[in-house]
Amino acid sequence: MAVHHLTCPPEREAVDQLAVGDLVYITGEIVVTGGLPAHKRLIASLDAGIPLPMKIEGTFIHLPHMVEETPDGYEIHYVNPTTSTRFDEFMPRLIEALDLRIVGGKGGLGAASVAAMQKTGCVYLSLLGGGSAILSAAIKEVLQVEWRDFPSHFRLSRLRVEGLGPLTVGIDAHGHSVYQTLESNARERLPQILARLADRRETFSQEQ
Amino acid sequence: MIDEALIQEVTEDLYSAALRRVPPDTIRALEKARHQEEHESARATLDLMLRSAQLAEENDKFVCSDSGVPVYLVEIGARARWQGDIKQAITRGFAHLVETITPPLLKHVNNPLTNERGFAGKDMPSISVDLIGDADYIDITCVPKALGSGRWASIKTFISPSLEDIEAFIMEAIIEAGSQHCPPVIVGVGIGGNFDLTAKLANRATYREVGSVNPEPILAAMEERLTEAANATGFGPMGVGGSTSVLGVHIDYAFGHGYTPVAVCFNCWINRRAKARLYNDGRVERIF
Repeated sequence: MAVHHLTCPPEREAVDQLAVGDLVYITGEIVVTGGLPAHKRLIASLDAGIPLPMKIEGTFIHLPHMVEETPDGYEIHYVNPTTSTRFDEFMPRLIEALDLRIVGGKGGLGAASVAAMQKTGCVYLSLLGGGSAILSAAIKEVLQVEWRDFPSHFRLSRLRVEGLGPLTVGIDAHGHSVYQTLESNARERLPQILARLADRRETFSQEQ
Repeated sequence: MIDEALIQEVTEDLYSAALRRVPPDTIRALEKARHQEEHESARATLDLMLRSAQLAEENDKFVCSDSGVPVYLVEIGARARWQGDIKQAITRGFAHLVETITPPLLKHVNNPLTNERGFAGKDMPSISVDLIGDADYIDITCVPKALGSGRWASIKTFISPSLEDIEAFIMEAIIEAGSQHCPPVIVGVGIGGNFDLTAKLANRATYREVGSVNPEPILAAMEERLTEAANATGFGPMGVGGSTSVLGVHIDYAFGHGYTPVAVCFNCWINRRAKARLYNDGRVERIF
């Protein structure tokens, strides 16, 4: 279980070295959102050739966030990842169009995203769901918040993070996805699992 | 005296507490899983979960950013006496929480017809009421339900199913949810009853104390073998691999008919729920 410290935006070579199961801490600028509307607007902007309201330099994470604007600037209350598979239909396009190096959230992404990630040289990092206290402490500054017509967690925000992690590499840049592997393993094991359940049912009824 | 003001205060406090604390039974189950887990990376994730729970409680932070939708179970004893409108008290308690809680909540409630977002919605909070026989108190359980504890639920109506059919369906629901619902989860199963009762049984089964043994021998055995089966799938903590996919499988059942609905639902690893007992004399006891 190798541990890596990456600076964002990471070089493709640094990302290429990451293997499924490795732990990663990231430092630097990341762009985050937790919302379906933000994904739709990103795609619509790309389709229409409208410039995006912020530069997304390699890192895009599904990280809902509670940020309030105060007279002294932005106050970050908390962050926590959301389920990335909700955005599966948008992610292949975003990964390729934005030439992403790191995407993340929780629960992984589907086959089309894995293929897109292989093309650009991009990994998927799994953040701890229910890890708000740990993850929020790594957010050092809110640099920019856009699309304020959305609720806070759906906005597009640029954050400066220090040592955000540990995050687990769920999908590497070479087409390996722990999510696909685990699902197919579970499906393969299912007949044996059901057979074992049948044995234990039989044992129980004999004991009664 | 149990009155509207007391119910409002208690239900508001329960919600706030549920957001900031992983319940003690769940901490114990995570610690036990940490000792038994076979994979190094999964042990690291379980350690991180325990640390997150500890930090949230020590620093009075939310464990998760998604405060979910408010779900309450109100169990009324036959000798309980109260004054006022319980539903209105709970509704006001949640509305007051939204206005005053620190840090603020996010707008996680939507209108499913228009997708408009806010803090309130039709028929909210979700309140189910049960009558619990000879008791001089009202028990209130508060469960903030978000994606990991709501989205992956499944129900199917069978005709005279065998235990084999039922267990195969439960395993299918577990594999379908896979890596998605912040495992290790509590699995709740309801068997029998009519459609809505089945779902209620499954949901309430998730509230049961983690690690407790089902009083019905047939269900205790079923829970034990299904826990083993679920953990053999290999999804592991946060669905990135390991031998801890569930902390427990809790099953309940009700009267049957030729048709038998079976419901499966989940509570994510933080298993957030809080319960208080309100006695006729106005005493309030926190159960968990």
